[in-house]
Amino acid sequence: MHIKNHPILGSCLQEPVTFYFNDQPYTAYKQQTVAAALIANGIRMFGLSRKLVQPRGMFCARGRCCSCYMTVNGEDHVRTCMIKVEEGMRVYPNLEDPEIRGD
Amino acid sequence: MLVIGAGPAGLAAAFETASRGLDVTIVDESTVKGGQLCQQTQIIRALPSIFQPMRGFELAKLLTNQLEDFSVRYLLKHRLIGLYRDGSVGITNEVDVFPIKFKKLVIATGAAENAIPFPKWTLPGIITIGAAQTLINRDFVIPGKNSVIVGSSDFAMDVALQLLDVGVNVKAIIEAQSDVLARDKEKVKRVKKSGISFYLNSSIVEARGKDEVSEIDIQLPNKRITEKVDLVCVDGGRSPILDAFYQLGCSFGYQGELGGWIPQYNEFFQTDREDVFLAGNAAGVSSQGAVIVTGMIAGVSVCESLRIIDNREAEKIRISLWRELENIESSLYPDVWQARINHIKSFKYPLLKNQFIL
Repeated sequence: MHIKNHPILGSCLQEPVTFYFNDQPYTAYKQQTVAAALIANGIRMFGLSRKLVQPRGMFCARGRCCSCYMTVNGEDHVRTCMIKVEEGMRVYPNLEDPEIRGD
Repeated sequence: MLVIGAGPAGLAAAFETASRGLDVTIVDESTVKGGQLCQQTQIIRALPSIFQPMRGFELAKLLTNQLEDFSVRYLLKHRLIGLYRDGSVGITNEVDVFPIKFKKLVIATGAAENAIPFPKWTLPGIITIGAAQTLINRDFVIPGKNSVIVGSSDFAMDVALQLLDVGVNVKAIIEAQSDVLARDKEKVKRVKKSGISFYLNSSIVEARGKDEVSEIDIQLPNKRITEKVDLVCVDGGRSPILDAFYQLGCSFGYQGELGGWIPQYNEFFQTDREDVFLAGNAAGVSSQGAVIVTGMIAGVSVCESLRIIDNREAEKIRISLWRELENIESSLYPDVWQARINHIKSFKYPLLKNQFIL
């Protein structure tokens, strides 16, 4: 859920954007990170761990733990707690090791 | 001068140097300046005497604004990832890497939160206490409906109150020790008054859930209970972020009260690499006010080493700043202050030296 009226900071969510998770549209706001935008929409499992194949989601929100890796606009292993959500962004879970990019 | 980290320590070091005419570049991984202060909505009281008590995000703004008139360049969304043979550092924007040469480097990379391991602690919905605060105050997102907090530091008390303020049900604060760890007793009183239970001498046995956490078992002193939760906030303390120091070949000492391994440094906040200074939580985890003072000391020492100010002047300022640091640090956290003194004393006898290949 989005906090429309923050007890100290007030109404800060002004510019809505539409982004896609598994090709389904969701609403978020411009200053939110991708990870936060997903959590606001009730999505907390962002992928599976590579060795034990267990669910993973956001843990530290600081770009340190890499538990929030996802595929964003075609790029694999993006730390979703460190990038802002954008209009039309396409987000997919990180379910297995990505193909190594050739370029 | 190159500063790594645009948090309170980095910004304070930048102000001391830029305001005396140095050309300063600040690198930060994030999209904004102010570091972790940006999502601190609680009022911070223990600050250097030039600052009034204010909320964390207001302090971030103030530290940023006071740099406006000076020669300061920002490289946001950039990180330091290595060292070149000629002594310049490698900075990346996640696509390219390029070298930056510097006369003096101040590393203020801050600290990272520690996890608290228990079976299935990696389930989604189990996040650090700082992450919970970030969701509320930076992203304006409610992190969960029913929660517990593991750990009882001052920071945990702040976030407990902030969770309540946005409508999250905080069922309990679980603490393994026999006492609440927070030093600010007024704040603890407020948390207790709000109806949150304190489970002392207690810990999480196990978390369960399919794709995310749905319940946890808690071992209380006399029985085991199960709580239905969708949010567990872990407050495992913080450890200094040291990657840059490893890469630069700095030596290290160990001070448990300051967060564990920290770079060895002297009273100038200078490492054993003469051109590398440090500040903030990277120099030992402490309070926001203390962090700012360490940045100021590092900044003044950089100016002295570049002969922008003479030794006598620098020494005078430094003595008063150290007194300020003592005031802030020893009032609430005397053991942290003691560890800092011990650390400075052991500058010449580091525990770890030349451990890393350059």
